[in-house]
Amino acid sequence: MGETILEVSHLSVRRGGQPVVDDVSFALTPETDTALVGPNGAGKSTLVQALLGLIPRQGGSVRLLGHALGARGQLPAAVRDQIAYLPQQFSPRGRLPLTVAEFVALGGVPPRQERQAVARALALCAAQGLERRLLSELSAGQLKRVLLAFCVVRPRRLLVLDEAQAGLDPQAAEQFHALVFDLRRSQGWTVLQVSHDLEMVRRSCDRVLCLNRTLRCQGAPAHALSTAQLERLYGKGFVPYQHHHQALQP
Amino acid sequence: MSAETTAPLLVLLTLPFMQRALLAGLLSGAVGGLLGSVAVLRQLSFFSDALGHAALLGITLGVLLGLDPTLVLVPFAVLFALLVNLMVERSRLSADALLNIVYSSSLAIAVLVLSRFPRAGGGLQQLLFGDILGVSWRDLALMAAMLVAAVIGLVLNRRAQILLCVDEPLARSRGISADRQRLLFVVALAVVVALSIKAVGVLLISAFVVIPASAARLLARSFSSYQLLASGLGAAGAVIGLLASAAFNLPSGPAVVLVQLLGFLLALLLSACGWAGAAARAESPDPGC
Repeated sequence: MGETILEVSHLSVRRGGQPVVDDVSFALTPETDTALVGPNGAGKSTLVQALLGLIPRQGGSVRLLGHALGARGQLPAAVRDQIAYLPQQFSPRGRLPLTVAEFVALGGVPPRQERQAVARALALCAAQGLERRLLSELSAGQLKRVLLAFCVVRPRRLLVLDEAQAGLDPQAAEQFHALVFDLRRSQGWTVLQVSHDLEMVRRSCDRVLCLNRTLRCQGAPAHALSTAQLERLYGKGFVPYQHHHQALQP
Repeated sequence: MSAETTAPLLVLLTLPFMQRALLAGLLSGAVGGLLGSVAVLRQLSFFSDALGHAALLGITLGVLLGLDPTLVLVPFAVLFALLVNLMVERSRLSADALLNIVYSSSLAIAVLVLSRFPRAGGGLQQLLFGDILGVSWRDLALMAAMLVAAVIGLVLNRRAQILLCVDEPLARSRGISADRQRLLFVVALAVVVALSIKAVGVLLISAFVVIPASAARLLARSFSSYQLLASGLGAAGAVIGLLASAAFNLPSGPAVVLVQLLGFLLALLLSACGWAGAAARAESPDPGC
């Protein structure tokens, strides 16, 4: 039996006494790209934060790279170093005096290798030349690429993206997605990404998790994103793929 | 500065109390700027102001109990920091509202106590605005120790503190405990404020934390230069302010804060010119500033 990167078993999260995520179980195998889809308020971000130990869970268990996540989100540092997370909202406070190079180095590299590792990470993420710019001076697209460089500055095994394309125009979102897709292949990452872009999910993900408080379905995109499944998830009359990418059917 | 003011100033510089005052200004300015660099970015700068005001209660209690105010003030400040931190963690109110409640209540209690026991308020003017000329060698040793401790603490927790300044969820995803880091920082800030109050005064202490860091934030082009600049501006402002107070016979604490304010205004001007210049260069051949 192959190694499991992430194993979630009967996970439940409550907020204000109400269940937001209820009895969710799934597993991620190495070097797969899994999408987490569902309507607004379905609990996608909550699930992601709970399985990373950023918020407490009220039930169930999580194993990351073979290690159990503690009740208060404890995880051995060596394991956490292999996991990268791109939050949904990433907006450094105004006039933060921090250069791109300083920020990327905070991703975790020994001081002696800092310069080389930062340059390599920025080059991998198509962000070379930004080293001396302040983080607060970057455009939304540049900021996303720099955040990705923060993640790749040291080897990782699991990348978790929470609506990473939010705030980007369609072209920038497409470029960012292509970048993640290429990096996943070249770096051997396992990816779990929250997304509302169902066409992108259909084109590039190996597996889809459909969440609306509980997991409504999971499987290959052809199955999980069928019209019948999407209507069950989003409600009757839901029309997928109506905005763009019409020419890019699988 | 004329020759008439220079000669007495040079004489003053040979006096031990003035030398101690300059060293105290250098140390409290440097450490205030250094801690301020993090406090300003983490939006904890109001904490130093609240602590300064609340400290009046600690000093009053010390005087009433016949104890050295400095010895009472450090545990009082740490207790205040722990209490406020607990309230911020447990309540759903914002930190600034909670700080306001705690510090105005402490101030009110202190004033009520002072009104009942007037002997405790004998040195009220010195408590409010500081008495840097009355700093002893023991006070200086404590300030030097806290500067070393602050530098060590910030170096050891540098990555965590910077990431928390950037984005808290991102920091927590890297295994950083935001609560523990905030607790460590506010306790350090509390100790620094408590030890600096004798020199700076309860009303002006927050200026030592906020003004140099804000000026540095406007000018710095990296985090390392930001922290060095905040610390340097804090120290330089204190020394220049003290020299000006000696030369022109001004109260020392307000003179230092006024120099820091001038430094901030200069940074604001330079920052605006730099920004306007860059924007103008991109759009027209006339850079403006």
